[in-house]
Amino acid sequence: MARVSKGLAIISICALGLTACAKTDEPGAAQSPGQQQGPVKIGISLPLTGDFSEPGKGIQEGYQVWADMVNAKGGLLGRKVELIFRDDASDPNRVSSDYESLITQDKVNLVFGPFSSRLVIPAAKVAESYNMLFVEPAGAAKEVFEQGFKRLFYAAPAIASDHYNYLAEYITKLPADQKPKTAAYASLDDPFAQGTAYGLRDKLAAAGIKTVVDEVYPPETTDFSPIAAKIAAAKPDIVVGGTQFEDSVGLVRALQELKVQPKLAAFSTGPTLPEFPAAVKGAAEHILSPVGWSATATFTGNQEMVKRYKEMFKGEANEDIANGFTVGQIVEAAVNAVKCVDPTKECQDKLADHIRQGTFDTVVGPLSFDDAGRPEQAHMIQQYVNGKIEIVLPENAKTADIVYPKKEW
Amino acid sequence: MNLLLQGLALGVLTGGLYALLASGLSLYFGVMRVVMVAHPAFLFLAAYLTYTVHTTLGLDPFLALPLTVPLFFALGVAVQRLLIARLAPENMAMMSVLLTFGIALTIEGLLGTFYTGSYKSVSMEYATRSLTIGGVHLPYDKIIAFWVAAITLLVLFAVLIKSRFGQSLRATIQHREAARLVGIQTERVAGYGFGVGLATAAVGGTVLALITPFFPASHWVWIGKLMAIIVVGGLGSVVGAALAAVLLGVVEGLVLVTVDATWATIMFYVFLFLTLLARPQGFFGGRLAHRF
Repeated sequence: MARVSKGLAIISICALGLTACAKTDEPGAAQSPGQQQGPVKIGISLPLTGDFSEPGKGIQEGYQVWADMVNAKGGLLGRKVELIFRDDASDPNRVSSDYESLITQDKVNLVFGPFSSRLVIPAAKVAESYNMLFVEPAGAAKEVFEQGFKRLFYAAPAIASDHYNYLAEYITKLPADQKPKTAAYASLDDPFAQGTAYGLRDKLAAAGIKTVVDEVYPPETTDFSPIAAKIAAAKPDIVVGGTQFEDSVGLVRALQELKVQPKLAAFSTGPTLPEFPAAVKGAAEHILSPVGWSATATFTGNQEMVKRYKEMFKGEANEDIANGFTVGQIVEAAVNAVKCVDPTKECQDKLADHIRQGTFDTVVGPLSFDDAGRPEQAHMIQQYVNGKIEIVLPENAKTADIVYPKKEW
Repeated sequence: MNLLLQGLALGVLTGGLYALLASGLSLYFGVMRVVMVAHPAFLFLAAYLTYTVHTTLGLDPFLALPLTVPLFFALGVAVQRLLIARLAPENMAMMSVLLTFGIALTIEGLLGTFYTGSYKSVSMEYATRSLTIGGVHLPYDKIIAFWVAAITLLVLFAVLIKSRFGQSLRATIQHREAARLVGIQTERVAGYGFGVGLATAAVGGTVLALITPFFPASHWVWIGKLMAIIVVGGLGSVVGAALAAVLLGVVEGLVLVTVDATWATIMFYVFLFLTLLARPQGFFGGRLAHRF
């Protein structure tokens, strides 16, 4: 009983604190945009160290390129954009307290999301409790959208299970004599990687392509030969890997060693990284992979982003950078449309409502969202053709024709 | 049937690799009761050095060994003399976990700083081909790993059994006080023992670089597996660790082809628990293990 009343006391004190904050913010909300002083502050926590430091830095650079380009155009509603970064060291506890302090101490106008589903969920909980809009660059696992968030949007073309949609469509439409009859799936025990492979598996199974191997391996797996041995024994027409990087390389090598020669091979994530072709030597040729962004695409702002990135960071842009940039593009469009950028419930609700009903032109193509914040598009499909990455599906974005069946590896 | 044979063959080859990777761990524990959590981190440090030698000089990865083996030996002696020897002997096992955990984090951080967090790999022409005998495919990289492991372990045994240093080392393992009484400088021997352990990490790292891509945090997945192997084999027994490694490699391979990968990974811990329940000194360990 004592504990309950103590808890109540804490809650009421917190509630008092919140109302006090809300009160002090209201005068600002009443002013019209042009009269407001100071920059638009955007609070972001990112994994700049720890497990996700590489993609975390990529997202950060994407945000910076976006802010730089917005400020060059005169800012958001005439105010300069200022990004406030925190490093959460890939730690789900740190990410919560980071957003808590960004919202209450730094009194930011907007928040942008961190990297990876594991950090997005705790961060979105904090944002939701302060009624803040939460557009995020990386959190595609289905759990993200099952938490009942009302202001969360995933700024990429598709959730995990829709990544292979264009490929599923292509395979199921092949003429009967070319259509594969059997398929083998091997997937990492991870919500995102598994989601991609299972999305394709379910669609192909529904089209009558028999699943002959369906293997799940834990992240600790270091030896892929026995998995490849199972696949070899089943002699499938196509091989699909729900992979990250190490396991995609491990599987390709092991399949070669066990002389498995499928007509089609598709792997998630791994083949989209620049280290892949060197790691598998010549075997990359004709491997397919879903990809959310392409450096050569002419979607709104893409070429400008690639160019500005090169000037600012002296390197080549990649998908992480594009995902960060996309968050900025969507929020920018919403702010310009509803003409407010305050951390009040009113304004943040207006922004969220606008994003929910609209379609947004971004560097990864036009994006729209369902009620839970899931993007409703699909990923493009890339293939290594003559050693180069080409977009082969869908028809309207392709840079080369899909090669099927693949050559032997 | 063919699948079982394939699983068995791959298991034996992988077990050989495990034996090489675990041999150092057994040595540290035998010589000075040190639980060396940083051993896999040193393996990947060696893998990165191999990568540098391979990419900058264009040499075969194995030609990095004349450089890395002496370097790691010296590093091992230094780590033992400067750090581990200073820990209080009463709680050596516990404190050594903390100390070497810190060393592992330091190595991971340094690798991240110098090589960035992106994946590196050393892939040779022979790494994706295999030898086929009666329908069973034996990958060349695994065969090479197996033979490198076998040769390294044979050399290690020869040193331990034949040389004067090996005799002093075994005496130190068996009874430190008695060894000191007959005139063995146990402190120095312990330092060299640690150096030999790290030298096996240099060889193991080169082999790992050949068969898998790596990034700075790759070492964590190996700690559990290698620890399970040396406990099953009998802490401190190098021969026991080698036998346990092949046993667990075969079990892993067979479970993988008959059940699935999740169970195969669990088998290491199943064997660990069974060993602790039924025979805590390990299946191949001597009386040594009784003392702690």
